[in-house]
Amino acid sequence: MTLKYENVSFTYPGATTGIFDISLEIDKGELLAIIGASGSGKSTILKLLAGFVSPDHGRIVIDGKDVSALSPESRRLGVVFQNYALFPHMRLWENVAYPLKVRGVARSERHARAVEMLDRVGMKSRADDLPAALSGGQQQRVALARALVFEPQGLLLDEPLSALDASLRVEMRDEILRVQRASGIATLLVTHDQEEALSIADKIAVMRDGRLIQIGTPRELYETPANAYVAGFVGQSNLWQGKVRSDGMVDTEIGAFACDTQGHSSGDAVTVFVRPERVLPAAAGGEGQDAGGDRPASHFSGAVDADRYLGPIRRIDLKVPGGLIRLETHLRDAVTSVRVPADAIRLLPAHRSQTGVFP
Amino acid sequence: MSVRASRKALAAFALPGCITLGLFFLLPVGTVMTGALTDGGAFVRLVNDPVFWNGLKGTLILGTAAPLFSLVVGFCIALTLNRLAPKAKTAALIAISLPLTFSGLIVAYGFILLVGRAGFVTLLLAELGFDPAVVGGFIFSPFGLGLAYSYYLVPRVVLIVLPAIGNFDRNQLIAARSLGAGAGRAMIDVMLPQIAPSLVAAFCLTSAVAVGAYGTALALVGTQVNILPLVLYSKISETGTDLPAASAASLVLIAICVLIISLGEAVGRKGSTSRARG
Repeated sequence: MTLKYENVSFTYPGATTGIFDISLEIDKGELLAIIGASGSGKSTILKLLAGFVSPDHGRIVIDGKDVSALSPESRRLGVVFQNYALFPHMRLWENVAYPLKVRGVARSERHARAVEMLDRVGMKSRADDLPAALSGGQQQRVALARALVFEPQGLLLDEPLSALDASLRVEMRDEILRVQRASGIATLLVTHDQEEALSIADKIAVMRDGRLIQIGTPRELYETPANAYVAGFVGQSNLWQGKVRSDGMVDTEIGAFACDTQGHSSGDAVTVFVRPERVLPAAAGGEGQDAGGDRPASHFSGAVDADRYLGPIRRIDLKVPGGLIRLETHLRDAVTSVRVPADAIRLLPAHRSQTGVFP
Repeated sequence: MSVRASRKALAAFALPGCITLGLFFLLPVGTVMTGALTDGGAFVRLVNDPVFWNGLKGTLILGTAAPLFSLVVGFCIALTLNRLAPKAKTAALIAISLPLTFSGLIVAYGFILLVGRAGFVTLLLAELGFDPAVVGGFIFSPFGLGLAYSYYLVPRVVLIVLPAIGNFDRNQLIAARSLGAGAGRAMIDVMLPQIAPSLVAAFCLTSAVAVGAYGTALALVGTQVNILPLVLYSKISETGTDLPAASAASLVLIAICVLIISLGEAVGRKGSTSRARG
């Protein structure tokens, strides 16, 4: 069962915000995460699929059938809401059994199926409790059970973990993935937490101002972002404006980088992009050639501007003439000079407003 | 650490309230009670009077139908108000609360001017071929009286029900829709059970108001329609004044109102404790 957006556009009445010309496909068993800043349109994408709003243009297709005009109740999609939206006056099993009740399943059968579903999310022993007696994580599990009990055609998760404590969030992330994999269902996850998306999604779509700017696997997105915005939004980045030189070097405000300039001609404006963990303290290795590349590494020296101790690593901002370089290292020594291997550098389209260290 | 007022200060603050309660509630009720009970035959005369029974019946019908109608209308209005922008909502609420400040007599005269036998609407409808005698007679019937009552019962319903609707998490309705329930079913299964205590409270309060209302009824229907307040009125104003029987009728009226209000309180409290627990 696939979920599909075909050139879908939607603007909110009386506003200019919305989403524009979105095409997306989620295959059976696949988990697609949509990430973006607040107001980027990611929740609108979910509402369109769930049927809470109707597209102005384009089609929503579920399992080959155009459902654009169908009401939410006719779409057979399980939705988990940010605040879980459990029914406070119903016991847990009644909450989970509600989709079965509206479909006319007999009481004894729906009780049995609800309890079985609660068992799958580890909440069987609480079947007769009311939702208010539960913690956030427990309510989340019940909401998940309720969204899956009627064997929907797709699972829609709207910021499902944002109301939970950090430690519980990681635990529930694995739980959601386990249940999603077990039911083999096409799943759309809307989140503003890029770490959450990177860790559980098969594919990630990055939204900005109502438009889709890149879609790919977590690795593709992290390693080869399409532009400076994606690079800055997904993970930490160093971004510098630069100009390609004829000798395969790129000039930036902090100095020249040696890197692969193939595909660019001399004089092209580009954005130089380097992940902080690819910036190496110069003390860690010698000068000259890198193990992996045939180009020399670029070297910079400066003073520490910020040194954040994060346990396994330190995140350091090094002030060099012309700007900052952010690096992450597990080394405990003082850092005053760094090198950037050529293969750590990617050239992205020039983008004037995105420069410096992100986020 | 809390700052507590002295016992004396508290007593001083409570004094005006106690005096008011004593002078304007306990004393009159005591007098009415004495009046009804010292004349041993008062209740007997009342029970043997077919007018009383008709009045009781009329009161119970009016005290059920008018609040029910108001509840339905008020609930719909509250649903709509809840979706308005805050400014529009405040403006609408002020307009809706206005009828509460009018005396029942004014409301009655307003209705007579509008839909009485020579009322503006009656005459307009007459132009369209409706019989003014029928249209103009409606407001003087028990149903017409109920409609006039709902004019100031509906605002009470709105004011009681609106906070409950406002506190209700609309995401639950959306969730119910996504789980397969139609819009109506979602409202019945999910919203109504949660706001039921406020609906019951609104019904009981408006019912008590309708049972006790007197000015509107007297102005509109005189003593043509049999309801307890008018029976009471006829017992103290017309020839053959029977004050002990009037006192007995008052006690019945008070008992009905107290019963309805207690019921509303009991359900409301149960709702609030289950919400606190739930």
